[in-house]
Amino acid sequence: MRRLAGIAAAALAAAWIVCAHAEDTVKIGLVNEATGPNAEAGVYTHNGAKLALAEINAAGGVLGKKLELKLEDNQSTNPGTVLAFSKLFGEGGIVAIIGPIRSTQIQAASPTVAKAGIPTMIGGTDPSLTKVNNRWVFRARPNDSYSSRVIADFGVNTLKKQKWAIIHSTDAFGSGGMNALTTALKDLGVTPVLVQGYTNNSQDFTPVVLAIKKSGADVIGSYMTNSPDVGIFAKQLRQLGVTAEWVGSPSVVTDTAMKLAGPALHGVYGIADFTPDATPESKAYAKKYRDTYKLDPDVYSSWAYDALRVLALAINTAKSTDPEAIRKAIVSIKGWKGVEGNYNFDENGDGLRGYNVVKNEAGKVSFIKHIDFKD
Amino acid sequence: MEFITENLQILFTGLGLGSIYALVALGFVLIIRATNVVNFAQGDFAMLGGYAMVLFFTGLGWPYWIAFIGALLAMAVFGVLFNYGVYYPLRHRSFLPVLISTLGASIFLQNTVLYVAGPQPKPLDKLLNFDGITLGGVFLDSQYIVILVATVALVFFTFLFFEKTLLGKKLQATSQDKDMARLLGIPVALMIAITFIYSAVLGGIAGVLVGPILFVSIGMGSIIALKAFAATIIGGFGDVKGAIVGGLLLGVIESLAAQHISVPYKDAYAFLALFLFLLFRPQGIFGEKVSEKA
Repeated sequence: MRRLAGIAAAALAAAWIVCAHAEDTVKIGLVNEATGPNAEAGVYTHNGAKLALAEINAAGGVLGKKLELKLEDNQSTNPGTVLAFSKLFGEGGIVAIIGPIRSTQIQAASPTVAKAGIPTMIGGTDPSLTKVNNRWVFRARPNDSYSSRVIADFGVNTLKKQKWAIIHSTDAFGSGGMNALTTALKDLGVTPVLVQGYTNNSQDFTPVVLAIKKSGADVIGSYMTNSPDVGIFAKQLRQLGVTAEWVGSPSVVTDTAMKLAGPALHGVYGIADFTPDATPESKAYAKKYRDTYKLDPDVYSSWAYDALRVLALAINTAKSTDPEAIRKAIVSIKGWKGVEGNYNFDENGDGLRGYNVVKNEAGKVSFIKHIDFKD
Repeated sequence: MEFITENLQILFTGLGLGSIYALVALGFVLIIRATNVVNFAQGDFAMLGGYAMVLFFTGLGWPYWIAFIGALLAMAVFGVLFNYGVYYPLRHRSFLPVLISTLGASIFLQNTVLYVAGPQPKPLDKLLNFDGITLGGVFLDSQYIVILVATVALVFFTFLFFEKTLLGKKLQATSQDKDMARLLGIPVALMIAITFIYSAVLGGIAGVLVGPILFVSIGMGSIIALKAFAATIIGGFGDVKGAIVGGLLLGVIESLAAQHISVPYKDAYAFLALFLFLLFRPQGIFGEKVSEKA
């Protein structure tokens, strides 16, 4: 009798363990800028990921379990990013990670990711990030070789401008973009009249503006990283009487940059991987985001929203949390409609190949056209 | 001709930014003289002033001037709190604990504001109702004009205050020799509290003035403070004149070098200047007074 009770107790205990295991979650890490100078963007990224999380879990989660986000702050710095990744990998049980949106941070953490061999979605758009012998990074945004081709194509073929000034931040994102834009323009037979870099958090852009003036450029192509820099540059540009057209990387049409710069950014074209009005998917997402957060959605949130849904889709398709199986499932995603566009992942891990061109019309972003490339 | 207007344009913005460095450096120097300690939260005084202005003007919709005065009063109150919270409990310790205490206060302040106000930088209206004027091909931003005028006025006021009023003389006596001052019946703790208040208000003014140009953000103070600190060393550590001249010089040097040498290394020129001064004239431009004291 006593023996029987013992067996029953053991069985109960086993059942309890199984039960607890069933309540276990599938953990996805989010390495994000929660503090530091870019904490602004970090909030939006977290918002987007949380929205996707709620949706996925409402629809039954992945592999019958609930999905869980583990937020790790990277303090908006490169060392902080490496530390955050190491911490998540060290804890164990992390199935996949949504990494930062800054190229420079991903560059710093890339070896750590490659060593851990955990699928990592990234938002950084430096083209080289997916081509540095790292099979584990997947990009939920179009890379800068496309952004620059779209900027060049729009400026040269639609605006009919030939005298280009390229303004770029000297960080990995800005320099990568500058190189790509120079190449894209060269393919269209245009050599820029000015290429000018600046460091992030510049307080004064007078020398840059004077250089543009002197060059006689009639169109500016820009890769600027931080919103305050865009705001200061835009104001000084218009104050010193430069009237050239401006086609910029996504930072010129972010909500914050437009609020800071006010009229100085009116009439400026930007490219955006996310535009609320572009597709039915993006419209639905924009409504949901506005209803939830009372904020206008922008790229910082939409890419994370797509990234988490791509991961959930891949894990469900793979029917496993094995990194190799997830990788295979991600690169086989073709024609999946995200809010940023149609995802067709290639072997490198790039999912998107086109951008929307938008215009700041008196403080409101309006959709102009979508430019997509096949290769 | 174009060469001249270009350089005047550069000089103008250089002087404008230099003025902000000078104001923050002045705050540094006053506290160095009163307590022998570098206040690493000095830049955050500017940040707080900017946010107070955003709260009163943009948030609560007060008229600009009322909001400005409100922000300065708030900074004065904050100066008292800072004195009693960060400096006073450690006043009998060596300079290192106090220094680290101000460093801690800086991190605390930035993260508190981040938590309360959120991470988005805030725009702020200019003091004057027009963007600026163009004079002989040079665009003069109205806010930079305000900054220059305000800096001259504040420097003049500070000079009068310290040299011509009894309170100012008591403050000077305190900074020169605390024991002697105490023997003469000067309430030293109160004098130091007043120094913190004045320094917080100065920082606050710098923040409100520069807000329309650099926008009000969590990190605005750190960027300015680093340059302002370099300015205090270039001018002569702990020297009031030095802080002003050092700040203006730094602003002009970095702008001119950015224009004529290379833009991406703009921040490097300020610190290159600092480096050269430390090598060849470590006491700074007006350094004699400090060596006398030593």
